[in-house]
Amino acid sequence: MKKTLIRSDAFQRLLLALVILAVYGFFYALSPAFRRYTTMAYICNNLYYILLIAIGVTFPLITGGTDLSMGTGLICYSLIGSWLMRICGWPLWTAMAATILMGVMIGTVNGFGIARLDIPPFIMTLGTMMFCRGMGSILTGGLSGTWPNYLEPGAGFRKAFRLILTTENGQRIPIPLGMVWMILILILMSFVLHHTRFGRYVISIGSNREALKLSGVNVVKWHILAYAVCGLFTGLAAVAYAGTFSNITPGEGAGFELNAIGAVIIGGTAMSGGSGSVFGTFLGVLLISVLQVGLPFIGLNADWQLLITGCILLGAVALDQIRGRKGA
Amino acid sequence: MKRAFSILLVLTVLTVCAAACAEEYYHFEIVSKGFQATYWQAVQKGAREEADRLNREAGYEMITMNYTGPDSEADITQQVQQFTSALNANPSAIGFAAVDQNAFRDLLNDAISRKIPIVGFDSGVPGAPEGAVYANASTDNYAAGAVAADGMWQKIEKRIEQADGPVRIGEVNQDATGESVTRRGLGFIDRIIALAGEKDWKVFVTGNEYYVGNANGACAEESEAKIILEVRVPAQPTVELCANEAFVLLNKEDLIAVFGSNQPAAEGIISADDNLCVCGITDATVIAVGFDSGATLKAVIQMGIMYGAVTQSPVDIGRKTIDLLLACARGEPVEDVDTGCAFYTIENIDSEEIAQNLYD
Repeated sequence: MKKTLIRSDAFQRLLLALVILAVYGFFYALSPAFRRYTTMAYICNNLYYILLIAIGVTFPLITGGTDLSMGTGLICYSLIGSWLMRICGWPLWTAMAATILMGVMIGTVNGFGIARLDIPPFIMTLGTMMFCRGMGSILTGGLSGTWPNYLEPGAGFRKAFRLILTTENGQRIPIPLGMVWMILILILMSFVLHHTRFGRYVISIGSNREALKLSGVNVVKWHILAYAVCGLFTGLAAVAYAGTFSNITPGEGAGFELNAIGAVIIGGTAMSGGSGSVFGTFLGVLLISVLQVGLPFIGLNADWQLLITGCILLGAVALDQIRGRKGA
Repeated sequence: MKRAFSILLVLTVLTVCAAACAEEYYHFEIVSKGFQATYWQAVQKGAREEADRLNREAGYEMITMNYTGPDSEADITQQVQQFTSALNANPSAIGFAAVDQNAFRDLLNDAISRKIPIVGFDSGVPGAPEGAVYANASTDNYAAGAVAADGMWQKIEKRIEQADGPVRIGEVNQDATGESVTRRGLGFIDRIIALAGEKDWKVFVTGNEYYVGNANGACAEESEAKIILEVRVPAQPTVELCANEAFVLLNKEDLIAVFGSNQPAAEGIISADDNLCVCGITDATVIAVGFDSGATLKAVIQMGIMYGAVTQSPVDIGRKTIDLLLACARGEPVEDVDTGCAFYTIENIDSEEIAQNLYD
């Protein structure tokens, strides 16, 4: 009985939730400024784009693959959206749709290369990572791009993520509205992963692709779809990023994918594929965000966040091995 | 008749040759710190405009140039490669704004031996070997930091006077290595210490070791201070990480003002304030002062979220860089050019003097 509990996915998520509480409590105890409501709101506001790409990459990771193109892709799609608005004069909503569509396209290309042409996921997505980094810079001439901000028409889309209420006496109260959408997306994608045919096939591709193929399922189609979903979420993350930082700089974004993949692994998705959960991914992202925001409160910078996240990542993988997922 | 025609033909050919020989052709390589901030885009715009103007005046394409820069100010290796390529192009002169103080020493010695003049712009090329850099076109960054302090001080002096205990002023610098940001940051700190000194108030500087160690006249004990000046520097020079540092400052109850010493730092403050809503222009709010311009900064100043900012003349820096490069290439004597700066708020943002130096 004890052995079964330790081997369960729920146990790892419970452990992770306790670690998050401990880390949060640590910062809470050491820094009075950390205790404010606004800190929690800031943590929420800062995790949208990483959470979205982490939810997306959960699917390729469960198939036993990966996607390295998300970070530079996110910046590339945001730059393209900005370029379509500023240079081509497209309306905001059309440019936004094109931004998301770009993500789906690159995701589909990744899936086609991996599932149909049998290119190793690392190599395929490394290629599209470089492609995205180059394309964003070439299209914009190396210049940064901007999305509508504050006083400009169309700036209202930012309110979908961060609503600021102004009281009668002029006081402004921030509401992390984006968190509502994130929770809805988490519920939806958790349902998709565990209760739909697509989700079941994604898990089966990771656990026993050959058996699935022999049972007559069009494995290539569902495998491509897993990467297309990842691309879709990268496109959504590009919009969320533009809603958080209105200035988009070419060259940024490299490293976002590692944060996201790290969060997914910490959240309990097996590197070898075949199992994982969207809520586990959320907990992984939450832990990284709490560290990123909390460490400066105690006088430590982002380098420490990387160091500590690396240790937690190794711990999560080690735990995964100990649980003997495959042998269970 | 034939003889006269031949002489005329020879004279015509000689005249054309002489005219062609008199034409000057210069190729400039310009290696900037990148294009990330719109500030750098404005520098590039100024350089291109000036080159076009000179070409129009000459009546032919006298100046050609190749303008490059790394993807981010943290990409030292990429800028080293770009500078190496610039040297290999054997240009008439090179315009250069280095992202690192030490990485280019060998390449600059190479430029000296190949007699390729270098003109620094913006932060220029600090610590360059003697004889490598002929002149700089830049803002006096130390003075610009002081201008930001003066602008902020007029808004917070009374609040400090009326405060029961010590108050905190924050400063977000994107790094502690780049010449322009460090000089600006120290100029701000030293000026605040000097202004406080006029009132017999002591200032305790805390936070990043570089700025704490190089501040002039700060007191040694926090308990003696009327003003605590806290300097924060992120691990990487990105808006995202500047925002994290700014968020910590804005969360402190005793903070009355904050300065972001360049565009990413100032935008980081704004991004952090989106979650806190503590910045403004009344006495109950945190007085935020930024640096440079950009659509976001202009908007938040007009909305009364940010009190003001210091603008340089990036377009003018670009223009002056081309003028200096041309003078160097022609072998004319050159000297450093200070392109100036000014403090702007909602009051004067639309004035002619300020508006011409603001950019999106």
